[in-house]
Amino acid sequence: MAFSTTVSQRKHIKRKAPRGFLKHVFKRQKPHLRLETSGDLLVHLNCLLFVRRLAEESRMNAFESKCGVIKKEHVQAAAKVILKKSRG
Amino acid sequence: MNVRRRSHRARSIGRLAHVHTSGNLEEQTPRTLLKNILLTAPESSVMMPESVVKPVPTPQVVQSSRRESSRGSLELQLPELEPPTTLALGLLAPGRRKQRQRLSVFQQGMDQGLPLSQEPRGNGSASSLTSSLNLTFATPLQPQSVQRPGLARRPPTRRAVDVGAFLQDLRDTSLALASPGDSLRTPVATLPTDTVLEDTQPFSQPLIGRSPSVYHSLPCLSHTEAEDAERAVSHRIQSSGPRLQNHNPGKPTQLLAGKAKKVDALAVSFPNNSSAVSGEDGVEPLQDGVGEEAEERMEESLSVSKVMATTGTQGSVRMEKSKGHREMTEAAEAKEPEGSSGASPELASSTTEFLQARQPQFLEPAPPPSTAVLSSEPLEPLSTRLPPRARTPGPRARTPGPRPRQDPHKTGLSHYVKLFSFYAKMPMEKAALEMVEKCLFYPNPFGSLDKYFQHLCDDLEVFAAHAGRKTVRPEDLELLMRRQGLVNDQVSLHVLVERHLPLEYRQLLIPCAFSGNSVFPAQ
Repeated sequence: MAFSTTVSQRKHIKRKAPRGFLKHVFKRQKPHLRLETSGDLLVHLNCLLFVRRLAEESRMNAFESKCGVIKKEHVQAAAKVILKKSRG
Repeated sequence: MNVRRRSHRARSIGRLAHVHTSGNLEEQTPRTLLKNILLTAPESSVMMPESVVKPVPTPQVVQSSRRESSRGSLELQLPELEPPTTLALGLLAPGRRKQRQRLSVFQQGMDQGLPLSQEPRGNGSASSLTSSLNLTFATPLQPQSVQRPGLARRPPTRRAVDVGAFLQDLRDTSLALASPGDSLRTPVATLPTDTVLEDTQPFSQPLIGRSPSVYHSLPCLSHTEAEDAERAVSHRIQSSGPRLQNHNPGKPTQLLAGKAKKVDALAVSFPNNSSAVSGEDGVEPLQDGVGEEAEERMEESLSVSKVMATTGTQGSVRMEKSKGHREMTEAAEAKEPEGSSGASPELASSTTEFLQARQPQFLEPAPPPSTAVLSSEPLEPLSTRLPPRARTPGPRARTPGPRPRQDPHKTGLSHYVKLFSFYAKMPMEKAALEMVEKCLFYPNPFGSLDKYFQHLCDDLEVFAAHAGRKTVRPEDLELLMRRQGLVNDQVSLHVLVERHLPLEYRQLLIPCAFSGNSVFPAQ
């Protein structure tokens, strides 16, 4: 698998999509629906982008409050905005 | 003497012509300077110029020459001789203007019949000429050397490195960084930043004392042994194979072990709590040992599970593994309280928080075994839940149904939470991480409160229903992303796939033409 090239955070970020997990969650939510094979990859992509936007928004909130650490309030405020944005 | 004078004069005149014609072309080399000295030297013996290399500032020399010139010709030689050599070595070839000035001075001096050397500094002129001329000669010297310091031929003066001061600086910076236990690495860590911030002029004296950069970045402060151990574990996990589908429930549990350690390492190291680090180190080897053993078992059971079908029998596989792991978890639990008792209360409380968000059911064990639960979760939550349940009925009635859901849920969640902390690029609180989980998917046994995933599934259902289908297809996903604003006319879905997904997924998603007139995936 291709891992993240940025080792600045010296973490090995797994780029693998938890496909079984995603399918399971989808099944639990909508048992009457079926999810296609490549569909869950795109769901994973969507989750990635959502998390990325969330992280950036909370980072911006932290910056604005001149904080070096992301706090719960930052994440909460960011979540409100991003969830609203990603309603579709 | 007269003969000598005449010969001198004859020679000097002859040479004057030579010098005059070529004075503008010749550079101010020591050779020419000496030649000029010889030409214009008085009857006294010609002394060999001392090859003294002195970075003496020129005005001083001029002043000294001025002072001494009044005394006599003999003394005149000394300042005359010294400055030319030093100045010749020190300063560059002067401009044409200077040479003409010197020539004019020289001519004047010659006319006046006084011994004058044709030094560019005009030291000889001090003897006979007016102070104004002296000044004119003195002043241009300084600006020239000041204007073009880089071209000065002064040898670079190397400051002797004061090792004591250097080490003291290192210690100060290491203290300032307040790194917790890595006194070995932090002094080195500060070096690159210091060298970068220094004066970057090309000809300024380089600080040779600073050692060549051993480039440890500052985040390496928290590069504790835990990271190495965890990375070793994760490497083994990776090496256990790119088997994707079958082993998702198996491996993510191990991934959680590594990730839990990561999160702990992160959360602990960033607040720079030394006690936490020491406690973490105590906990880490235990976890690592536990993780290694767990992994061995996992691999055995994974080979077993490979034979079986994927989703249907995963529960049974987990049960098998749970039996094998029960003694492991008990041993781990025995070990963990010992290790975690040394852990800082922050670590324990943070892990309890961490667990609270995930499984409220796990709160039942006391906080010291909470760290045990943290490690035993990846091993087998089923087995740990069974014994505590039998012993003490939990405060909340736990439904047996959601239990199998917890394990992959937790690991799937942790995956995205890790990604969140990765994308954030900033230290985060534990509470913030829980917040992320809550907003992503909150597996609640009483009903799903997952906000994001809920929205997602609802939208997909609507789109599929609108298309008259019961299967959610990639087109629905694309429509969803378009509505979210991720995909627009500038950015297409394929671009996003290329950017964010690894290559293997890209091959699956984006149709690509292969040989034999075939396209994969088939459209």
